[in-house]
Amino acid sequence: MSSPALQPRTRVTRLAQEAVDKARLSVVPRVRTRAPRVPFVTLVSLVLVGGIVGLLLFNTSMQQASFAASSLQSEADTLAAREQTLRMELDELRNPQRVAQQAQSMGMVIPAAPVFLDLKTGKTTGVRTPSTPDDALQLLPPAPPKPAVLAPPPTVVEVPADTTTDPTATDPTTDPTTEAPADTQATDQATDQATEQGSTTAKPNKQDRKNRNR
Amino acid sequence: MPSTRATGKRGASRGAPLLRLRVGFVLIAIVLSFFGARLVQLQGMDPRSYAAMAAAEGSARLTLEAERGDILDRNGVPLADSIRGKMVIADPVLTAGKAPELARLLSDRLSIDYFKTLSALRGRKTGSRYEYVARRVPSTLAGDTLDALDEAGFEGISLEDDPIRDYPAGDVAANLIGYMGTDEPLGGFERTFDKQLAGVDGLATWQSTSGKGVRIPLRESTLKEPQDGTPLHTTIDRDLQWFTGKVLAQAVRQYRAESASAVVLDSRTGETLALVDVPTFDANDPTAPGVKKSDRGSRAMSDTYEPGSVEKVLTVASLIDAGKAFPRQKFKVPPSLARQDRVIGDWFDHGMIKLTLAGIIAKSSNIGTVLAADAFSPPQLVAYLQRFGLGQKTNVGVSGETQGILTPGDVMTSQTKDRVAFGQSLSVNVLQMAAAVNTIANAGVRVSPSLISGTAVTDEGLTVGTDTTTRTRVVSKEAARGTAKMMEKVVDPEDGVAPAAAVPGYLVAGKTGTAQRVEAECGCYDGSTTVSFGGFAPADDARFTVYVVVHAPGVDGGGGSIAGPVFSRIMGYVLGRYGVEPTNGTPSRLPVEW
Repeated sequence: MSSPALQPRTRVTRLAQEAVDKARLSVVPRVRTRAPRVPFVTLVSLVLVGGIVGLLLFNTSMQQASFAASSLQSEADTLAAREQTLRMELDELRNPQRVAQQAQSMGMVIPAAPVFLDLKTGKTTGVRTPSTPDDALQLLPPAPPKPAVLAPPPTVVEVPADTTTDPTATDPTTDPTTEAPADTQATDQATDQATEQGSTTAKPNKQDRKNRNR
Repeated sequence: MPSTRATGKRGASRGAPLLRLRVGFVLIAIVLSFFGARLVQLQGMDPRSYAAMAAAEGSARLTLEAERGDILDRNGVPLADSIRGKMVIADPVLTAGKAPELARLLSDRLSIDYFKTLSALRGRKTGSRYEYVARRVPSTLAGDTLDALDEAGFEGISLEDDPIRDYPAGDVAANLIGYMGTDEPLGGFERTFDKQLAGVDGLATWQSTSGKGVRIPLRESTLKEPQDGTPLHTTIDRDLQWFTGKVLAQAVRQYRAESASAVVLDSRTGETLALVDVPTFDANDPTAPGVKKSDRGSRAMSDTYEPGSVEKVLTVASLIDAGKAFPRQKFKVPPSLARQDRVIGDWFDHGMIKLTLAGIIAKSSNIGTVLAADAFSPPQLVAYLQRFGLGQKTNVGVSGETQGILTPGDVMTSQTKDRVAFGQSLSVNVLQMAAAVNTIANAGVRVSPSLISGTAVTDEGLTVGTDTTTRTRVVSKEAARGTAKMMEKVVDPEDGVAPAAAVPGYLVAGKTGTAQRVEAECGCYDGSTTVSFGGFAPADDARFTVYVVVHAPGVDGGGGSIAGPVFSRIMGYVLGRYGVEPTNGTPSRLPVEW
């Protein structure tokens, strides 16, 4: 619209008329600046996809870290438990009772009174008292007595030298004669072991029986 | 479908959409009313239980057990400590099917009873889903067992935290530290200081994936850290306590005694280095067969007895302090002394003998002590004895302590006073008496004894420990020294009654005691005796006070022959253990006769 203003005046009226004619309003078609859609859509899609994938990855890594944390935690628990078990074993090894038993089995005895040795002068102070096995402490209480069922009175078989009261001496008379020699020998051995003078007492015994067998 | 969009739709089929719309609305209303009804049911009827159910779904909850504080000896060695343990839990719904196989595996691995395991796996009650199979299993063992079960394909066994209380030294100091029941402390320090030792359990909650208990990140989770219990430091020396216990147990067996107690005190600080009771028990197994209920407490603290002649040193020290006697004072001691209600005699037959006060102590003459104590009125004597700590609790942190029996001076008859002067007609506990003898050792100043290092507050709110130690002068330094000199004569091989109590190379001061025992049921003397020996060394610069009491020995003997050797053994050990060299002081030259 600025160009008619630059025309010579002679043409102004005509131009004005023309302008008036043209000034009739009519719908101007909307100017559509068609910006390219593709980059925007791509960008949004990328942001969306990236976000989702990122979130997914982040979540996954978090989950992974959680698994790692819980497995490390259980490993730490195991190790702590192991440490405590070992410490308990150590405490048991340091138990004064155990140490004393070990020392006593090696022949050591806790002295009745201490004696001091001065390392500079090499002299001792205190009264030196001998420590004998009698000074050893009873570290364990005596074993409790067994109940009667578990500790029956010992069966004592007396094997007297005198044949008249010997119950085995009468056996050969009733038993078959073939068993008799073995039987008497066994009793003889027993008497030999039992008594120091077994040989002297057993011999007449044996002879007597043999006589009787005859 | 109508072909024309604009007119045909509006005109011809106007009824149909309306109908459809109505039908649709009705349908929606029906559905919504269902929703509404359900909403009212959920929110109106019982909203909390549904909320809890929703929260429980997929949420894990774990009590974080606070670790119980250790009980330590004076060198930091644990007398009681806690280790992680597990309880093994079975879900019978899952385990009942394979119970025998599972029970065999579990009983083999955990060393538990097969049949009990079997009944737990099958469920002790029908429908039960939670049964204890084993408790207090060391963590490592429990973990290994569970792995083995997983490998073998068994299901339904789970583990939960269940801390184990362990007493590494077994019976050492068990009477003092006590023991734990299944869930609560049942005696000793464990119970007296439970609040301090127990700590506060924590709690962790989180949303978890099903089964494995793995935390879902970014979901709600809370954590309240547990507060572990505070360790309890005692003044006990574990090795010394062990040694004292062994010596005492040997004496009890040798003399067929009913029970015995011994105390070792640091003379200067009053710290109790050992406080032993025999018979004792293994704190790891307090219900073992043969352990009596009374063995599980501290008899030294809870039982009273008549101290007998050891008490004479308190009488004599008081007399010297009051200026009413002196060590070389001369007494004519008759064979027997008739007092109003009964005749007082001595343990040994004698005619009229001439003893000095030192001789009265060395020979342990009741008659001589009564004659010397005639200078005191009953209130005067009782006032001294109270300052020695008799008749009052020592309050060292042992619950159930007895305060003993000391008749108040204003109601005490002169006959009672006569007997009190030589240690009958009054009752004490072992630590009380040891602290009284220690007063002589510590140059006349009574140091209140203690068992706890630093301070600790009992569950009843009593503050105890070395920080609360009090020192009170009871008798003058000179009176204490004079008494100590007289007590040296007791272990003299010629003049004294207890040469067996001597420690080679050291000056030892001590006093024997042989008292009749009061039978608890009839309240009368039953003929048995309590023999004791209390003393300290080195006599001229005391470091340790040892007091030994043997109740009802089965053999004839007095404090010198039964308790004396025990005293000597313990004193010899403690002097060596703490590196106390002989003082090379001059032995007492007090005359015993005149």
